[in-house]
Amino acid sequence: MMAVATESELTNLLDDWKHGDPSALEKLTPLIYDELRRIAHRYARRERNGHTLQTTALINEAYVRLAGNDSPDWQNRQHFFAVTAQVMRHILIDHARRRRALKHGGDGQQVSLSEAEAMSNERAAELIALDDALEELATFDSRKSRVVQLRYFGGLSLEETAAALDVSLMTVRRDWRAAKAWLYKAVNREW
Amino acid sequence: MTPERWQRVEEILQAALDCPVPQRSELLAQVCAGDAELHRETTLLLEAHDGAGEFLEQSALELDADVLICDANERLTGSRIGHYEIVERLGSGGMGEVFLARDERLERLVALKILPSYFVSDAERMRRFQTEARAASALNHANILTVYEVGESEDTHFIATEYIDGQTIRELIGNDKLTLGETLDIISQLLNGLSAAHAAGIVHRDVKPDNIMRRKDGTAKILDFGIAKLVEDSASELSTLTSRTTSRTELGAVLGTIGYISPEQARGLAVDERTDVWSVGVLLYEILAGRRPFSGATNADTIVSILERTPAPIFASEVRVRALAKLQQIVSKALSKDVGRRYQSAADMLADVAEVKREVAAGSNRSRYGVAAETPVADARELTGRISPLGSAFPIAVIALLAICITAGVILYRRNARQLAVEAPLPTTYAQMNDAQRLRFISEQEQHVASMMGERPVKLNDEALRAIKTVVEGYVAPPKPNAPTLNEIYSRAPPYIPLIAKEFNARRIPIIVGIYLPMIESAYTPCYENEAGAKGLFQFMPSTAEHYGVARADMCDVNKMAPAAAHYIADRMAELGDDSQSMTLVLLSYNRGANSVLDSLRMLRETDANYERNFWTLFANRDKLDHSFRNESAYYVPAFFAAAIIGENPKAFGLNMPPLSSQVRNGER
Repeated sequence: MMAVATESELTNLLDDWKHGDPSALEKLTPLIYDELRRIAHRYARRERNGHTLQTTALINEAYVRLAGNDSPDWQNRQHFFAVTAQVMRHILIDHARRRRALKHGGDGQQVSLSEAEAMSNERAAELIALDDALEELATFDSRKSRVVQLRYFGGLSLEETAAALDVSLMTVRRDWRAAKAWLYKAVNREW
Repeated sequence: MTPERWQRVEEILQAALDCPVPQRSELLAQVCAGDAELHRETTLLLEAHDGAGEFLEQSALELDADVLICDANERLTGSRIGHYEIVERLGSGGMGEVFLARDERLERLVALKILPSYFVSDAERMRRFQTEARAASALNHANILTVYEVGESEDTHFIATEYIDGQTIRELIGNDKLTLGETLDIISQLLNGLSAAHAAGIVHRDVKPDNIMRRKDGTAKILDFGIAKLVEDSASELSTLTSRTTSRTELGAVLGTIGYISPEQARGLAVDERTDVWSVGVLLYEILAGRRPFSGATNADTIVSILERTPAPIFASEVRVRALAKLQQIVSKALSKDVGRRYQSAADMLADVAEVKREVAAGSNRSRYGVAAETPVADARELTGRISPLGSAFPIAVIALLAICITAGVILYRRNARQLAVEAPLPTTYAQMNDAQRLRFISEQEQHVASMMGERPVKLNDEALRAIKTVVEGYVAPPKPNAPTLNEIYSRAPPYIPLIAKEFNARRIPIIVGIYLPMIESAYTPCYENEAGAKGLFQFMPSTAEHYGVARADMCDVNKMAPAAAHYIADRMAELGDDSQSMTLVLLSYNRGANSVLDSLRMLRETDANYERNFWTLFANRDKLDHSFRNESAYYVPAFFAAAIIGENPKAFGLNMPPLSSQVRNGER
């Protein structure tokens, strides 16, 4: 099971990760994975309860749960968001690639029913195309690529994204619209 | 692409996007003169921008929630924890995932709950938890889940319990399948189990629909004794470690659902068995009313609601009016914020619930009460007209029967109505009434319409009544030449009522809102296009319409606009949180948007924390609000009441038709 998450430990892990220690991400992943699953379950239940959920609020709540409410290091929250977006992207892309491999009969394995229900072939193809396009975008405009990662995979609002990247809201708005246009074109080119 | 090239491309793209649409191509032509490749690239990007629509706008976290859930299943299924083999995932709660597992030693199925390690990092705390969980289990009570083992294997902490083949009460409420008889049966069993635990000195602390299951044979089981204590301990410990005070919000986030905690829990005070009584009260209210008594847009708002507000009454229904009156008393007593005035034990509450249960069971033998015990509570709500903004819609077929209901409801819940009842009868038509009688008529009818909307009872002051009266008199004034008569206007509505009833009912919005909203918006005139969009039964800005799935060209299509309007209102109700329980505020938000309504309320809260949370408070304070509220919105809700008062009292206004709300038939609900 996962490591114990006291505030200081989370802080340390985030610190290590920020300074490029690859093992920090490994330790952070299960913690964040659990939070993401919790959020996913709330989405799954949402229909029934008729509640509107805001992803940004859920992610904030996840941070509070792991780190405590008014964590003094405000920077940590931003790092946490960044790691969350990255973990989410990894999970989904892994899943999509596995899905595609299975579809092509790569290892002769049957796709399990629940796995097939969870993600359609079209969605898997779309995610892989998006991931490739994001990689390419990062080669010539890394900030835009990060904006999209935070917004799309991390569920952050424009405001939160601006705070996480320490740029103005206006910049994020402009980055977002340009990145969306470029990605839309790139993704559709592949189809 | 190189960064330099992209920088140039983006510059042009941004400049073009800042330009009005018609001038964009000219701008591209000018800036890209002589560079065909640049022109092509930027043109394609502009097209992509315009075509991107909803692309990437919904986050992957939301779109692909299923992947995360299924991924977790795949990981654990078939694996082994101690001597348990995981068969499949059953669900997840605030305290971790629950799996169906096979106990290999005893060859039996168990439910295995895996605890997140950050709650169980402390051995001493785990030991206390085990003691409490085992103590509850040792009671060996039919309504308490049996705990087999609290254990640990390779750093994974788990609880193995008996496996219940059934559904949680949360699931049963979600399906609206519980009958009144079943509801009372479950509540009785719940109180039975709790009083056994209380007698042994054990308080549950987290009674909520997710923690109670009903087995297929009807036995109710309380789950998770001791867990809440564990959570509270770990949360407060975490806060001690970091020298912070744990907020109740944080605790609520940890527990999952904050709506069921008692005021003393919310304040962080010591709790005893009466905390469980409170939570049972919340649960009973939720099942009966179809909505939670305390809610808010955020956890903090919910806590304010728990600490300060009295829940809106559960509306009386004619067939079960006696049962409901008693249940209302039971709920009110269980939800007394002062613990001293609450039921002092689960057993006390059980005695009262059991009495109603007997009456309902006896009543169900007589045809008059037949509906009571066997009809699903949700259906009974519709059948009998117990309405609530978040509950089901108004039942109009039984309007005649309903007279009894409304009378009963008024006597029970509207003190002012008692005084009205003893006054002399009013003349039959509005025209024959003098000014004072008209005000009285409007006051009575406002209460009637408000009850159909599920409003909390409030007595309007003269100024508010006069605002409605002014609009009524505008309607009944002799029409201008060539203008339609009142009779003509109201005769346009009936063809649309089945559609409106269906769509508003589907979103659980009182149908009366759907019927009279078009009266203020367009008086049911045929739709026509204008520069702002279209003016039809329901109106939106084109951008809003598009957001709700209606294209600009379809804004006159009532088959598209009616569901969109219901959807829009449901969204505003969600945004308004606790205030969504006042339909007058929701109506106002149709005119002004939820944020503006919330802002206005926030402003009032600063000057008077005890204000009534409804439109009329805003109306009374309109001088403090902005210009657009004073001039336009202040009369939007009075206009709604005016339209509804006329439409529900056709005879008094010389209209040749039954009340509009009576034109919703059974099959259309």
